[in-house]
Amino acid sequence: MESGLQERLQEIIPPQELNVWERDELLEQLAEYEPALEKLVLAQIEIIWPVSHSLCFAFLEYLADGLSCLSPEQIPEWVKGVLDAYEADGLRAARTYMDDVENNFLCRLRGESGLVFDEAQGRLVHYLRGLSQRNLQLESSQALFTDTSTIFLPREMTLFQENRSNFFAYKLLLTFQWAFLERDIYCQNGTDPYELEHFFLLFDRPELAQEVYHLLQTVRICRFLQEQLPGLMRDGHALFQLLRRKNAGGEKDKRAATALFEARQWLLAKCSLDEYDLENSELEGILISLLDENISNKQVFEATTHFYNAFCGDAVSMETGRPLLFQGELRTVEARQRRLNRREENKQKFITALAAVLPPQASSVEDKIREDEEKGPAANIIESGANVSPMKSSADKEPGDKQHNPEDPRYICLDDEHIELPEELRELADEIRNDLGELPSFYIASASQMAGGQGESPQASPESREGQSLQGGITYDEWDYRRQGFRKNWCRLIEKKVTPTKGTFVSTTMDKYRGQIIQLKRQFEMMRTHHRFVRRQRDGDDIDLDALTEAYADVKAGFTPSERLFIRLLRDERDIAALFMVDMSSSTEGWVGTALKESLVLLSESLHSLGDRYAIYGFSGMRRTRSEIYHVKGFEEPYTEEIKDRIAAISPIDYTRMGPPIRHFTKVLRDVEARVRLLIILTDGKPEDYDDYKGQYAIEDTRHALIEAKNAGIHPFCISIDREAQDYMGHMFGEVNYAFINDVKKLPLRVPEIYQSLTT
Amino acid sequence: MEYKAQKIEEHFVKEEPFYLEQKNELAVALAAYKNGIPLLLKGPTGSGKTRFMQFLAWKLNRPLITVSCHDDLSTSDLVGRYLIRGGETFWVDGPMTLAVRHGAICYLDEVVEARKDTTVVIHPLADDRRELAIEKRGELLSAPPEFMLAVSYNPGYQSVLKDMKQSTRQRFVALELGYPNADLERKIVGHEAGIEEELARLLVRIAEMTRGLKDSGLQEGASTRLLVHAGLLIREGVSPREACRVTITQALTDDRELLEAIDEMVSSVL
Ligand SMILES: Nc1ncnc2c1ncn2[C@@H]1O[C@H](COP(=O)(O)OP(=O)(O)OP(=O)(O)O)[C@@H](O)[C@H]1O
Ligand SMILES: [Mg+2]
Repeated sequence: MESGLQERLQEIIPPQELNVWERDELLEQLAEYEPALEKLVLAQIEIIWPVSHSLCFAFLEYLADGLSCLSPEQIPEWVKGVLDAYEADGLRAARTYMDDVENNFLCRLRGESGLVFDEAQGRLVHYLRGLSQRNLQLESSQALFTDTSTIFLPREMTLFQENRSNFFAYKLLLTFQWAFLERDIYCQNGTDPYELEHFFLLFDRPELAQEVYHLLQTVRICRFLQEQLPGLMRDGHALFQLLRRKNAGGEKDKRAATALFEARQWLLAKCSLDEYDLENSELEGILISLLDENISNKQVFEATTHFYNAFCGDAVSMETGRPLLFQGELRTVEARQRRLNRREENKQKFITALAAVLPPQASSVEDKIREDEEKGPAANIIESGANVSPMKSSADKEPGDKQHNPEDPRYICLDDEHIELPEELRELADEIRNDLGELPSFYIASASQMAGGQGESPQASPESREGQSLQGGITYDEWDYRRQGFRKNWCRLIEKKVTPTKGTFVSTTMDKYRGQIIQLKRQFEMMRTHHRFVRRQRDGDDIDLDALTEAYADVKAGFTPSERLFIRLLRDERDIAALFMVDMSSSTEGWVGTALKESLVLLSESLHSLGDRYAIYGFSGMRRTRSEIYHVKGFEEPYTEEIKDRIAAISPIDYTRMGPPIRHFTKVLRDVEARVRLLIILTDGKPEDYDDYKGQYAIEDTRHALIEAKNAGIHPFCISIDREAQDYMGHMFGEVNYAFINDVKKLPLRVPEIYQSLTT
Repeated sequence: MEYKAQKIEEHFVKEEPFYLEQKNELAVALAAYKNGIPLLLKGPTGSGKTRFMQFLAWKLNRPLITVSCHDDLSTSDLVGRYLIRGGETFWVDGPMTLAVRHGAICYLDEVVEARKDTTVVIHPLADDRRELAIEKRGELLSAPPEFMLAVSYNPGYQSVLKDMKQSTRQRFVALELGYPNADLERKIVGHEAGIEEELARLLVRIAEMTRGLKDSGLQEGASTRLLVHAGLLIREGVSPREACRVTITQALTDDRELLEAIDEMVSSVL
């Protein structure tokens, strides 16, 4: 061991960072390389060491293998890739990256990079939504797995040279993860969240049992997919065959490994409709039993135990080969945590949504609860409403109100009365029942207390006493659902100007959507020049033959003929005025705000070519004394540079009190001469103000303001951006009067589209 | 030009139409009929509204007169007008009058497409007066008990220009015909397209997937009608994926991403 190397290493790694034997081991490894290479490797260590010590050791570990297919000149480039992977996803990712030099590095060098997730995502999300019929999320991650709410796919797919095939691989992976959820391999349809984890703990080596279980479930899933999605499985033949070939070199000496290996190969063969002879008939028996259509999770448990006892009992080796590519990882802990989180979310959602539809009742429960209320939200009071029972135990009710079966899940029991659950809540209630085995009585109790109307009371706020005089601005009433009446002159609304910002926002947006804007303009122009012949006019471009004949006949028959004998070509029948009311609350900060502004640009461009009259206002504010609207564009103002700069200047301010601006714009629109008057609200969620304008109070006031608008002959329409559809939306906006968008990226294009479909 | 007056006999439904009930629509419609209440059919396109009316007319053994509404439809188009032949005028009943006179079933398809000033003529006919005024002739027709008025519309369209007035909709018994459940739809598609039930099952699976795309920006999912079309093409020898592409995918949207996603659904299933 030459001392030159030792010194050099000393320079790179300060003495205190490495103990003596670690240093010796390192030196030993380095000594194996010839001088030129040694220098190169040292240079890499110099780069990696400060980033992460463990990464540096891992690098040296993989280097030997790496050098079998990398030339020394390629090493620095490779290290860059390793560092990228490390920085994006940590050590595991870096190891995975180093493990497969061919696919992760060399392919790319040859210009055959794979398909990245971002490119496939758009298509895959729609595919997943259609497949699952629910709002499953899709994200990328280092590993392939699901936490039961989101499916995580690898960041890139480099299995094939061709991206079409890589896309297919993505789709297959995704479909398998969906099927795992669909067939409930995480056992979430049972009521015990720990069922699966506890099952694995019954074995000496839980991780091995888990692996067996996962594989056996995969056998079952393959059968399920063959039946449900035969096209996919057929297209997958090539992939299955490829995996089988890749697998073929696998370890075969240990019993557990052999059994798992054999089972995997058998499954892959099965999926590509090939023959595969299993030598072990016991193994074959287990696998074939899983192909039964009606097999349950419990039976898979049994099969797992059987498999484990037969082949893994005396397993010593930890090496069991890799799971199949499309299996991904079975992350039981993540699944369980997500389930428990979801349970909490569902509880809150259910209580708020149910409270919103329950009639406000002035019962004695209400007063009893009031003190508790001060301490915390209604949802946290457990079992306090003793007079409320779950529908489950309501079977012994007297047969008086027997129009429906008390076991009917559409009903809940509240104060001895059966109340029908509103349509929009049933799904949620089913989900909760699935999870807990019943709808807990205190959910209903909490909702009824909330509906009783404490806790969210605006009166509780000291600075907002009724009758306090409001100076300046315009005052508006506010709807108080508990008293079913208005609080007179309750809110003060102030109109402000937006100070234009000079900048590149609008031009950048125009650039970004150049293609789409051209297309939108064309579409909107077509709406404009929608020529239409109207018959039976007093004068016009042509004679209406039908009318003339009729008139002639009328004369003959002794009637006074009509004078409406002409056809007129109507060019501009659109007589529409639209006011856009844009949420400027602080929650729109970031992507949502940007997307909102982009959508205003696209909209203005489109409407400009269409010729409809439109106005744009922002709204925000804080407390009932300062509800603010921001003038961006009035109806009569043309779309000029100044307006563009005002759009660019829109930025998040305070809170979302929706009632006052809706009432204000209703008034504004009422004075606009137009056949159709639209009030379009762009918002990112629930109405909420700094004071007690929140929860049900806010929902009810907003709803009422919208109804007032409707009664004034205005068509309100809300476009709501949210991660998922909320149950209160239908109630607040009215079923057909809103659109919900869960993908911010889609917003800018969707807004003009919605406008188009609203007005044609 | 020879004008041929419509003969009522031509409007009888001669053979039993193939119709599978979704729920209790037949019982409801018969009860409404018995009590002289008009019928409002709601539902997405291609969900069997027209077919149901044919079936009902056959059951009741009444003629069925269908008018497809559009925004140029005038009152005369519904009620009737004078025409001239050989210097003489003569009156021709419109479809509505024809139906009232003969106690037929008058079905106004896509009623929201008609202008509001046209649809007012149905008001007195739709409430308990059951009368049709023919102004030109100074005639007031009273509908016989056999007469029935039915209208349909698709609530899925959000256009504010085409909302039905409360005063109109509150005169009807409303039946919602959504998409049939999977089992039923499989049978319908199998029968209508004359294809194997297994293939029909897979087509229905595709339709279900597209119906899950509402929040992703698809206005409406694939209707039963589209599945029947796909099935017919497949029976003619068009490859299943291609048949679905031309009948389902392309019919549903122009959005690139959605098109591709629906294609992926198709290729997963078939
Ligand atoms: N319940 C059913 N029984 C039998 N066939 C059905 C049924 N539902 C739908 N169909 C089939 O679907 C096709 C379309 O149905 P139909 O024409 O009645 O739709 P619709 O509701 O009138 O649509 P639109 O609103 O577009 O007029 C029918 O031709 C028939 O083949
Ligand atoms: Mg029809």
